[in-house]
Amino acid sequence: MIQLIILPILQIVVIVGLSPLVKGFINKTEARFQCRRGPSLFQPYYNLTKLLRKDAVVSETASWIFRATPYVTFISILIIALLVPVLSSTVPANFTGDVILVIYLFALGRFFLVLSSLDTGSAFGGIGGSREMAISSMAEPAMMLSVFTVAIISGSTNLSNITQAMLSYKLLSPALFLALAALVIVIIAEAGRIPVDNPFTHLELTMIHEGMILEFSGRYLALIEWASCMKLLILLTILVNTFLPWGVASGLTFPGLIISFAFYVVKIGFFALLIAIVESSFAKVRLFRIPNLLGTSFILAVLAIITHYIVS
Amino acid sequence: MVEHLFIISIILFAAGSLFALCFYRWQMLGNYISLILAAIASCFNIAIATSVLFNHSAIRFNFLLYHAIIKYSFLIDSLSAIFILAISVVSFIASIYSLGYTKLYVNKRDTRFLGFNFNFFLLSMILVVTANNALVFMIVWELMTLVSFFLVIFEYENPLNRKAGFVYLFMSYICAVFISVAFFIMFSYVKTWTFDFDSFRYAGDVMPAICKNIVFFLVLIGFGIKAGIFPLHLWLPLAHPAAPGNVSMVMSGVMIKTAIYGFIRFYFEFLTPCPPWWGVIILIIGAASAILGILYALMEKDIKTLLAYSSVENIGIILIAIGLSMIFKSYNLMALSSLAMVAGLYHVLNHAVFKSLLFGCAGNIYYSTHTKNIEQLGGLIKRLQITAPLFLVGALAISAIPPLNGFMSEWLVFQSLLNGSNIPSVIVKVLTAICGATVALTGALVATCFVKAFGISFLALPRSEHAQHAKEVPVIMYVSMGLLAGLCVFMGLFPVKIMMTVNHASTELLGVNIAKAITSYDWLQTKTLQTNFSEISPQSATVFGLMFLAITVGAMTLINPGFTKKLYETWTCGISPEPRFGYTATAFSKPFRIIFSNLYRPRLEIKTTYSVPKYFVKSIMYISEITPIFEKYFYAPLSRYVLSISNKVRWIHTGSVHMYLVYIFITLLISMLAIRW
Repeated sequence: MIQLIILPILQIVVIVGLSPLVKGFINKTEARFQCRRGPSLFQPYYNLTKLLRKDAVVSETASWIFRATPYVTFISILIIALLVPVLSSTVPANFTGDVILVIYLFALGRFFLVLSSLDTGSAFGGIGGSREMAISSMAEPAMMLSVFTVAIISGSTNLSNITQAMLSYKLLSPALFLALAALVIVIIAEAGRIPVDNPFTHLELTMIHEGMILEFSGRYLALIEWASCMKLLILLTILVNTFLPWGVASGLTFPGLIISFAFYVVKIGFFALLIAIVESSFAKVRLFRIPNLLGTSFILAVLAIITHYIVS
Repeated sequence: MVEHLFIISIILFAAGSLFALCFYRWQMLGNYISLILAAIASCFNIAIATSVLFNHSAIRFNFLLYHAIIKYSFLIDSLSAIFILAISVVSFIASIYSLGYTKLYVNKRDTRFLGFNFNFFLLSMILVVTANNALVFMIVWELMTLVSFFLVIFEYENPLNRKAGFVYLFMSYICAVFISVAFFIMFSYVKTWTFDFDSFRYAGDVMPAICKNIVFFLVLIGFGIKAGIFPLHLWLPLAHPAAPGNVSMVMSGVMIKTAIYGFIRFYFEFLTPCPPWWGVIILIIGAASAILGILYALMEKDIKTLLAYSSVENIGIILIAIGLSMIFKSYNLMALSSLAMVAGLYHVLNHAVFKSLLFGCAGNIYYSTHTKNIEQLGGLIKRLQITAPLFLVGALAISAIPPLNGFMSEWLVFQSLLNGSNIPSVIVKVLTAICGATVALTGALVATCFVKAFGISFLALPRSEHAQHAKEVPVIMYVSMGLLAGLCVFMGLFPVKIMMTVNHASTELLGVNIAKAITSYDWLQTKTLQTNFSEISPQSATVFGLMFLAITVGAMTLINPGFTKKLYETWTCGISPEPRFGYTATAFSKPFRIIFSNLYRPRLEIKTTYSVPKYFVKSIMYISEITPIFEKYFYAPLSRYVLSISNKVRWIHTGSVHMYLVYIFITLLISMLAIRW
């Protein structure tokens, strides 16, 4: 009962509800680093409510793909939210799928987003879409290899089982540490943060994600913005709850979930802070240097799996 | 009963061929009759395949017209049945699709030979996967090659098509040579002195290791040419685009799978105790084909060439699964071997379905726009309103996007690769993991490639007159494609059904039934797929998706009930939008051309012509192309070398019959002496 009804709702609420806050937190922290006061922590919520209430302007050139994309992106992320252990190592939709499904559901959202960027016939969309595909293609092998490492160590690709297995480890083994490092780079690339993509830019030649969503407005834009906030939070959740599952409740008791929530907020806060620090202290890398960065991540992942095989 | 069905289907195919030839005045009528007969025969074959698979009874029969050596014997076991199933489903749909597609040729060319060859082509594929005798196999294999060659050069006026046909025929003969030598070597060790496959089944036990290795490589090259593995893929991107749309659908969808069938027959039945390194070689070749195939597909502008290269990639994925199955088998991990085999065969079926769908939709595009160059298209989603979503389904399926069928087989491949951790050898373990990364990279590149193929040809504004005035194709063409799209969804949503079907073949091949081990029940109490690593239920993911869709749409309406959409032109910095502002295929793949510049070696040439004073540019010519390294550094030197050798030995070709008689006599003498010793 709890597993089938309350836990899914709880997870959706946490992911959907907290994700704009993570964005607000990162923005605020970065503003502080730049000695600005910055927008309020809740600014992303204000933006979303404003957008949701507005009407939309849609390009004449665009087809039904353009109007379907926000829903496809948003819903694919919502399904992922059910597959990821957030508060408890028990996952609501455990039987539905594993981390491979998660990766390919991200691909579903991306597929439609890039199609819609081509749909309006503007060159900016194409620039963004083509770069997005290039970067995500480069990120994919490193991501899959680090997932392989974790899966082989824990004996499962199911995120809930991975978390349960990791709970029994006290310290990160060298293989896991390398995989973690690889995954951090991949997550930065996937979430479109500096040094791979600058989420604040609106300069034509540097846009990636922003370029793709340039033509969206109103509720369409709100859904896509929200989905991208959720994507960041979900990626961070996967990171913290598989590699550092401290405090994750293994059962489904009420106090356990509360403690778990506190730990979760602290861990996510820490990684959000880390992203803010990285974004404040690095410049965006030139587009064709990004393969080098992701290549580094791939090498780390290869080392991770070799280390695991040699050590064990 | 089933035997009779098989014979009836052969007769129907043959009758179809003859009907197509008979009608000269009413060519279309003859064509329709022959295509309908082919469709009916394919239905019969589907029935045969399902009956063999679910009754667990192999069917064998010998035709009476045999003499000493060639016995026309055929056997339909469950492996054959899987391939018959794939071939017949695609044949059926291709036949009814052709009813519409052949209208393209009305009053333009003689379609009699199209119908004639098409029927024989479908028949020969069925015979290839059922032949139970090496000589019969070679005969029908050659028939398949020859007939498909005639289909490739159907539009023979175009010199490119003739060249494609020549390359195809040439490479197919090399392929036939290798396979027949392999058969002869095996024949010399089988002491029964027959070419029956039944006696070859134990050849692996009696052959010395060195001979087995030689046969392994002969088969690898022989069937590799037909399958289109790198670097033997040369004919594939030439021949598939040259053939008419309905034919390339069959060629790419299923004909190249007959080579996969050959691989499985040889490596899992004939040469059976095989060393691990064979599997490793297949695995590496599979990974290389996958990655290189899709990288070249990414650069293509011709939609059919793009699809042909993507076939190379899918053959790569299938070979990864089969190589893995061989590795597991040689380490005696039979259950895992069976899992990998299921993944491979699942992908065989999937690729047959979505690749035919994509080729069919490419045919639809060609039918209505008369161009295959995607740079000339654009905006088709508003003109081909039914073809567009069908192509999208195919594109999503081939990119392994859940919940379509490509994802399920890719998932199984990943699960098999993960199980590589059970292999004792560390190097092979690491290799399987890196293969996993390769498959992931391939998957992402496939998505890019098909985003490009769909986005550039269907979205934005039309870039040419042809695309501007495109009209939807005849009903039968999109209805048949709709069937395939439906299959894509069905095979993605109900993986257990497909898995159970292919499991019959892997059980028979490997002797381990994993049906129980890889199914479980989900919350909807429907059967789902599971492995020792994980479980997956695409149905429940879809149900969740639909639930969320309802909630999201509901919430959106609640928040802003009076939502209106205002249509306005795309912002193009103040000027009105034009087709040339949109991204092109070349531009879309530019980042990859830079990232993989070591492989592509792109060449860029910009020629600017000025008018008399040097300040005004008259015209700019921009040429950007990639270097086809395999053609340039492997095939070109090879063909030069072969030509120079032939030049040197041409003196023996005197043209005199007497000399040739002497040669024959000498050959006879030498072979008799050779046998004597």
